[in-house]
Amino acid sequence: MPFRRLILLCSLFLLLAQPAAEVRAELVVVVNARCGVAAMTRNEVINIFFGRNHQYFNRVEAQPVDLPDAHPDRKRFYSMLVGKDLSEVNAYWSRQVFSGRMQPPVKVNSADEVLKWVVSHPGGIGFVDLAKADARVRVVYELTP
Amino acid sequence: MIAQFFRRLAPVGLPGKLILGVVASVVLSLASPAIAQSTSAFSLNGFGTFGLARTTTDDVEFVRDISQARGVGSEWSALIDSVLGLQAAWHVTPQFEAVVQATSRYRYDRTFTPDISWGFVKYNPTPNLSLRAGRLGTEFFMMADSRWVGYSFLTVRPPGDFFWYLPFYSIHGADAAITVPLGESVLRAKTFYGHSDGRIPLADEQWDIAGSPMVGAFLEYQYGPWLARASYANIRFKNDLPVAPVLKKALGIDLSAQDAAFLATRDTRTDYYSLGLVYDQGPWQAQLMLNHIEQGSNALQCSDGGYALLGYRVGQVTPYLGYSWVLSKARGTGPSAVTAYVMQDSRADQQTTFAGMRWDVVRNVALKAQWDAIDGESSSLFPYRQDNRARWDGRMNVFSLTLDFVF
Repeated sequence: MPFRRLILLCSLFLLLAQPAAEVRAELVVVVNARCGVAAMTRNEVINIFFGRNHQYFNRVEAQPVDLPDAHPDRKRFYSMLVGKDLSEVNAYWSRQVFSGRMQPPVKVNSADEVLKWVVSHPGGIGFVDLAKADARVRVVYELTP
Repeated sequence: MIAQFFRRLAPVGLPGKLILGVVASVVLSLASPAIAQSTSAFSLNGFGTFGLARTTTDDVEFVRDISQARGVGSEWSALIDSVLGLQAAWHVTPQFEAVVQATSRYRYDRTFTPDISWGFVKYNPTPNLSLRAGRLGTEFFMMADSRWVGYSFLTVRPPGDFFWYLPFYSIHGADAAITVPLGESVLRAKTFYGHSDGRIPLADEQWDIAGSPMVGAFLEYQYGPWLARASYANIRFKNDLPVAPVLKKALGIDLSAQDAAFLATRDTRTDYYSLGLVYDQGPWQAQLMLNHIEQGSNALQCSDGGYALLGYRVGQVTPYLGYSWVLSKARGTGPSAVTAYVMQDSRADQQTTFAGMRWDVVRNVALKAQWDAIDGESSSLFPYRQDNRARWDGRMNVFSLTLDFVF
């Protein structure tokens, strides 16, 4: 029946046209489960990822890890964390690097490598999809748009 | 038009290699992934700008700051804003790092001869304490140590009314910076001491400021998108301004011993005070900076300056609007007509309204266009070069285009 097919087609279209954000998993900030940090505020996360502060509240050294520009999670992360485009984040780091103040966080290529970094560094901290966060890491902050 | 730039550049000794290098670097930065991302012990990074500027007058020449011997007039020129920088860093251990940076830009001797801008070793005994020694960038004012990294800021160049007076780029010395987290906010303090390194052009002569001791400190408070800083620094000049040879050449006058003593800069101290407030969140960027400069020598006028800047990003384009000002305090004329003439030269009294746009074309490359409307008194001579005092009326427009990149 053509009418039924139309409905089917319409619902299929609606399903595909869902905003991508709702399909995406949530991004979370994770730390090494043994670093002694249970939760962080947005400003504390910003301070660590922008190199303003290099220690957690318990004085353990924070070792942040980032993703390359080409990875879609990097754009989402900075957009949700500070509302900044990647060009602005890169401009910020070029000021820090060329004034000789500091180097940006190390970059790895995938979410799995982020987890590997966080687990293998006592003060490791990174961002991944909630679904990726396993028992070896602790979720300390959930990013909300 | 391109041939004209090169002709204008040729007499100042810009090697064609620099231009080629800049072009090659842009191509490289577009073609290859940033080298900065490597986790190895060595990293090599670079930055650069190809900039064009022109004004609407030939009565004075417009410079980026007074470290430049000549400036631009009513013809398009790549002289004042073009730069190429390379930086190598060796991360010896997580605590130890060695950094060297070389830059080529138009400088006091009218050439683009590359300089080692900094070369230092850094030691972080704890994550929030940083000690550096060697040749270091000076942070007299906020962002003063990244003034040539066009990609890192919004405007075409740092607002002149605020930065003209700051020809100091590096010291041979040491600095220490400590970060103290206070809950969600961060307090940061830095202090430095060293001997300045460099020369400042004065007409056809150069003022040697090498060996002049500099000391300074700042306190910075960051909370979320807000950053506030108060800073103080001073320099005690080791040498006198080359007033005598300049007068002899320009006017055929001999400087008397009495006038020379009155205009001495040797062993005088200049104090720099500044306050800065920055807001940076989402699409908004706002800055408010104030400075006060107290000059110890009769040859230089004390001044107050500042700027306000507001930008709002729409997609990859960030339009901005700003206002800057500088006003110096006249000291009178001194004992003779000659001292009066020299003292007029350090006068600054003007305001600049500027508007522009930054477009982040592709990753690590930005194009900018800016218009500056300078409205000042005809006595405002200090910020410029080659002034024709009889004709200069204190007003001009400056048009600038730059291509900034990092790699």
